[in-house]
Amino acid sequence: MSTRRTVRSGGPAARTPLSRRGFLAGGAAVLAAGLAACGDRTSLVAAAPSGSTGRLSIGAIPDQDPEVLQRLYRTVADSMSGALDLDVAYQPVTDYAAAVSLFRTGDLDLVWFGGLTGVQARLQTPGARPLAQRDIDADFHSIFVVNTATGLPPSEDLTPLAGLRFTYGSETSTSGRLMPAYFLQEQGVDPAGFPGGPGFSGSHDATLALVASGSYQAGVLNEQVWTARSEEGAVDPAVVRYSRTPAYYDYHWLLGPQATERLGEELPGRLTGYFTGLSADDPADAEVLDLFGAGAFIPTEAGNYDRIEQIGRRLGLIS
Amino acid sequence: MTAVLDAPPVARPRLHRVRARWGWGLGAVAVVVWSLAGAGLFAGEVVNPAGRAQFGRFASAALSPALDAEFLRVLVTGALVTLAYAALGAALAVLLGALGAVAVARTTWGRRRLGWTLTRGALAVPRGLHEAVWGLLLVNVLGLDPWVGVLAIGLPYGAVTAKVFADLLDEVPRGGHDALLAAGAGRSSAVLYELLPPAAGGLLSYSFYRLECAVRSAVVLGLIGAGGLGYQLSLSFSSLRWEQVWSCVYALALLCLLADVTGRAVRRRLAAPRSSPTRLARDRVLTAAVLGSLALVAWSWWYLAVTPATLFAERTREQLGYVLGAAWPPDTDADLLASVASLAVDTVQMSVIAIAVATVGAVLVAGVAARPPGRMTPGRRLLGTVVRLGLLLLRAVPAPVWALVVLFVLLPGVLPGALALGVYSFGVLGRLAAEATEELDPRPRAALAALGAGPAAGWLYGVLPRATGPVLAFALYRWEVAIRDSVLVGVLGAGGLGALLATQLATFDWGAVATTLVALVLLTLAVDLVSARARQALR
Repeated sequence: MSTRRTVRSGGPAARTPLSRRGFLAGGAAVLAAGLAACGDRTSLVAAAPSGSTGRLSIGAIPDQDPEVLQRLYRTVADSMSGALDLDVAYQPVTDYAAAVSLFRTGDLDLVWFGGLTGVQARLQTPGARPLAQRDIDADFHSIFVVNTATGLPPSEDLTPLAGLRFTYGSETSTSGRLMPAYFLQEQGVDPAGFPGGPGFSGSHDATLALVASGSYQAGVLNEQVWTARSEEGAVDPAVVRYSRTPAYYDYHWLLGPQATERLGEELPGRLTGYFTGLSADDPADAEVLDLFGAGAFIPTEAGNYDRIEQIGRRLGLIS
Repeated sequence: MTAVLDAPPVARPRLHRVRARWGWGLGAVAVVVWSLAGAGLFAGEVVNPAGRAQFGRFASAALSPALDAEFLRVLVTGALVTLAYAALGAALAVLLGALGAVAVARTTWGRRRLGWTLTRGALAVPRGLHEAVWGLLLVNVLGLDPWVGVLAIGLPYGAVTAKVFADLLDEVPRGGHDALLAAGAGRSSAVLYELLPPAAGGLLSYSFYRLECAVRSAVVLGLIGAGGLGYQLSLSFSSLRWEQVWSCVYALALLCLLADVTGRAVRRRLAAPRSSPTRLARDRVLTAAVLGSLALVAWSWWYLAVTPATLFAERTREQLGYVLGAAWPPDTDADLLASVASLAVDTVQMSVIAIAVATVGAVLVAGVAARPPGRMTPGRRLLGTVVRLGLLLLRAVPAPVWALVVLFVLLPGVLPGALALGVYSFGVLGRLAAEATEELDPRPRAALAALGAGPAAGWLYGVLPRATGPVLAFALYRWEVAIRDSVLVGVLGAGGLGALLATQLATFDWGAVATTLVALVLLTLAVDLVSARARQALR
């Protein structure tokens, strides 16, 4: 019988060099030291909460080409860092509501919001202020599309859509939900009354694919995406444009109050200056503008989104 | 010879139908028919043949995944993040499970049934919510912090683990424990020396199983923004870049396969220990696996840069106060309650159809997917591998992706959501059914084959009757999971409580969110009770 077995079965014990208590205490100390040692490493997935550092966290709702935007956003972060002499870090977000929540918690200082999400974020974060929008955002439109099998010719009249299976984009998308629902309501069509209830495809591209499949006979999406996809030739021939909405205000940059407290009173002005100063003639600036599909950025103010807030309340999207 | 003939006939049990089983069986058929009727299967058009082209685009991209170097680099980082979340989440679950097991074990409560029932009931709350729902809630409290992903896996898994650990402890024979108590040992010593060692194998085996599940959950969390493979998948998914989606799916399948294989090896080893009776030594493989997992957890902690400080930060308390303040009291207006009730019915129908589809599929492929004992022809081996890989892919494509893709070829309604869930559950259940088949006694089938029965007949008469019980039991387990997963597919017009919850979360209607969450927890609890009773009848 080996000595080890003797010991285990309660035989005469050899002296252990280390008492159990000593071993446990030592182990705990090593563990604690290890944990403390990695405390100051910054994570791959999350910024150190912006707290005391002089860093500006920027983000965007995942709306148009989220895949391109989120993976190329470093371009924007780098351009801003250079121009403003700030440490700018881009934080990826996949969900509209998460972007609003993270703005409220202060994880994101400056966010590229849609009209409705911007209003939601401002209502939850006192002191937040809109800074700039694109030239196209003051005059933004949505496009109603239908499947060719419906046989509907293009028209300004939205009432024929009422009897079709219809899908919006994301639930709190301004161009894929809120404003189209409003214009439908204006023409006497119940925005929630489509047969089987409206669908929420989740993204503008998914709306196009679903209408192309015919599972939904009609849908609505952001004009910018419609134009871009049409130019790429990526729109299925089964989908045709039915109608274009009147104009409304949409996307804008929103700045949280904690960033101003941390980085100085002049921050909002400097940021607006940076955005409006981007010029299509400068190659580096052009790259940023191109990413946003904009010719230029222009200043904006909270009052521009009052109508969106009213409509949001009426449709129960702002509570 | 005569002695045998003269012997009194052996009393044979009479073959009779068990009433309870028939009751449950007919009830199940009725519920499935009711669900299909509710999904509109008998009421008119449900298929949309025109959508085949869109579906084809998704399917054909499977053969041409995006493989450019930059994207592959993104995938590798994503896989590491996913693995780190899974490891930390599973570790937290095991830790919480160990603590929770003490709180809910019968051993702790003895004859005090009320206390036991109450603590068990309390576990139903974290368990009743999907990891993704936990994630969405935690983002609101913790913001962009790795704890969101870790807690979202650890909390619900911890509750499940606590229940299983407690059951494992309670099932250990009491003799030694009682003897120690009688000899004057303290209760904790009695448990530590007489209950824990015999249960250790089961506990370890289950812990590794949790790690496997955590990998899949970590991906779902990525979909809601916790980073990793799921995050890359959701980015590519929202602009419908199917080639990239497939690359993510393959990476994910590889990760799942890795977790499956190691987990299975450990569990096999635990089921059939290799220690020789003459030498009391630790199993090297198991020691390596445990040490390796501890190292993995430590690495994950470092890699994700988790720090306990954020949990106790001032801001966390503020945000928790904000959310709780907005959510309390839950909304109870009649309209909301009525729609919650009717959507709960949709959710139940969706989950029933999903599980019915998955069970039928699982039973059909189980025979082929199982590795039969003995030698196999190369063709049979290849077929088995292909089916197993197919099942792996079915469960590696996340449920929300299935929901959109199925919607191309089916008209909107409960049915596409149910099928999306069904296809995904089929991937899981098919594997479980194959494993159950492998564990059956091979002799009846061998006897049939020796008597000249063909493979199909051998399977029908030698395997199917005995595999039905365990497969149905697994299906009933998965039913509860399907209820929770229905949250993921609800959004796309599929309806159910998931769609309602998505709307409420998107509009920050916290009071209504609270109501829906309560409804979801109650629904999961109810399904859990029904499924437990049905499983009892199966035994």
